[in-house]
Amino acid sequence: MSAYTPPVQALIDELGRLPGVGPKSAQRIALHLLKAEDHDVARLAEAIVIAKKRVRFCERCFNIADENLCPICTDTRREGSMLCVVEEARDIIAIEKTGVFRGRYHVLLGAISPMDGIGPEQLKIRELLTRLEPETVREVIVCTNPTIEGDVTAMYLARALSTLDIKVTRIGTGLPVGGDLEYADELTLGRALEGRHELRD
Amino acid sequence: MIVEHLELTNFRNYAAAEVHFTPGTTALIGANGQGKTNLAEALTFLATLESFRGVPVDVLIRNGEDTAIVRAQVRHPDGREVLIEAELTRTGRNRVQVNKQRLVRARDLLGVMRTTVFSPGDLALIQGGPGERRRFLDDALVAVAARNDTMRREVDRIVRQRNAFLKQIGWKTNPSALSGDETLTLDVWDEKLAEVGGQWGDARAHLVAQLQPMVTRAYEDLATQVTPIDFVYEPEWRRIGLARALAASRAEDLRRGLTTTGPHRDDLEMSVNGLPARTHASQGEQRTLALALRLATHRLVTDTMGSPPVLVLDDVLSELDPDRATALLTHMPKGQVIITSASGLPTTAHPDRILHIAAGTVTNN
Ligand SMILES: Nc1ncnc2c1ncn2[C@@H]1O[C@H](COP(=O)(O)OP(=O)(O)OP(=O)(O)O)[C@@H](O)[C@H]1O
Ligand SMILES: [Mg+2]
Ligand SMILES: [Zn+2]
Repeated sequence: MSAYTPPVQALIDELGRLPGVGPKSAQRIALHLLKAEDHDVARLAEAIVIAKKRVRFCERCFNIADENLCPICTDTRREGSMLCVVEEARDIIAIEKTGVFRGRYHVLLGAISPMDGIGPEQLKIRELLTRLEPETVREVIVCTNPTIEGDVTAMYLARALSTLDIKVTRIGTGLPVGGDLEYADELTLGRALEGRHELRD
Repeated sequence: MIVEHLELTNFRNYAAAEVHFTPGTTALIGANGQGKTNLAEALTFLATLESFRGVPVDVLIRNGEDTAIVRAQVRHPDGREVLIEAELTRTGRNRVQVNKQRLVRARDLLGVMRTTVFSPGDLALIQGGPGERRRFLDDALVAVAARNDTMRREVDRIVRQRNAFLKQIGWKTNPSALSGDETLTLDVWDEKLAEVGGQWGDARAHLVAQLQPMVTRAYEDLATQVTPIDFVYEPEWRRIGLARALAASRAEDLRRGLTTTGPHRDDLEMSVNGLPARTHASQGEQRTLALALRLATHRLVTDTMGSPPVLVLDDVLSELDPDRATALLTHMPKGQVIITSASGLPTTAHPDRILHIAAGTVTNN
């Protein structure tokens, strides 16, 4: 029994599927867009389509990239023997801001969460394993979020890598439990990186 | 900690109400169905962000309205004044402000205001299933340390995640039929559950040991005679360790698609005079024990925090015989008390303030 015509309701539904947008905000954004000038709306739609077309995932680390490889993977000054594993590309931005880490990254595109139907196969874990030898990685720092799912993903990786001669460490404590990496301030995150500890199974 | 003043807007049967409490005992008196429990519920909502009657938030919003507001002025023993405001919405998203500062997470309110509630529904602590007693223990753990709320929710989440995984692979009823990757995934969920669940079990065991003498004492005060009260919290998994227990039950868990051992299945066995309270104790003994559990928790929180929570006693007097009612009133713990009654108070009660409640209006006299 929607009070809106089908096209408007469809717009609200689509917006409501975006992360962090509840039904109320979806409604507000939709009504705002309908009031906006035609060219403004067209520009927004175009920006979405172009970004989606041009931007892709780095073939190696699954960071956001506009070439085959992202700028970090192509930067020869980065320390190739250290790999920092994160859940999402936005975590790379948070870690880069600390200036503490000079190695490369690997984005899993999520964390193990059976309730959401996400197991190791849905994550970029196989791709991680194939990187280790050719890139002569010595240490994998698992910087998944300090949540249950992030912890379990870290434990999984520690076990999956246990037969290799690679040090697997977990970002240190001090991060707000249950939150996202990106919510931690630079100082706390930097300290947590420096205070990483070895994971063993 | 003392609640000085409470203001309700569109909460239950209150369109608008303002109540001033004394630091001592305030009695809420009124006929059935006038709003005594509703008022107590509003106050305790600010401590736990849920109704002690176990109903969802939208039930608390006055019929025909979209939002309710509960506002309380609280004074801490060090003189600090705190204004707590909660806006309840039908979607269940509460907006909470402390001293006009919006809290990013409503749950950060836990611990700002503390209450102990006894209500007739607490009989379920004795008569109900194990879940009632687990909730009692876990609520008490959160009451003595607000950060326990995080661990409690972690245990719950790990169990739900593990169950979801078991359901996904559950058609393989034999652990040896699992792929290497499935075994590895189940292993890490087991490890995480063993770690956090094990700690939660330790916390419960420690709490039970602390509570037992306090419950015995509270029961004795109410019954005016020495009565042996025994608690047993000894889940099998704690004897062998949760990691081993999970390994042992893996085949069973796979077959049933759920986690059959762990803190989410525990019970707290209670006995009065050496007999199981749930099956053997009389109605009055069960009520007395339920009240003793609340009073003991109240004392434990008081001792741990250094100052008493607000004690809310809903309809407690109608639950007890005259002797026990008198005993309760004479052994009332120190601190602020809010007590409701539909039939007036016995002469032994000396409330500092009596508020009359009729059809959602409060009058002072
Ligand atoms: N969401 C709501 N909107 C409007 N009225 C409500 C709402 N929820 C409950 N009520 C009404 O509030 C009234 C008072 O309830 P309350 O439980 O506070 O009574 P009480 O004074 O404690 O009575 P008793 O002595 O029987 O326990 C009830 O009659 C109920 O119909
Ligand atoms: Mg009532
Ligand atoms: Zn890359």
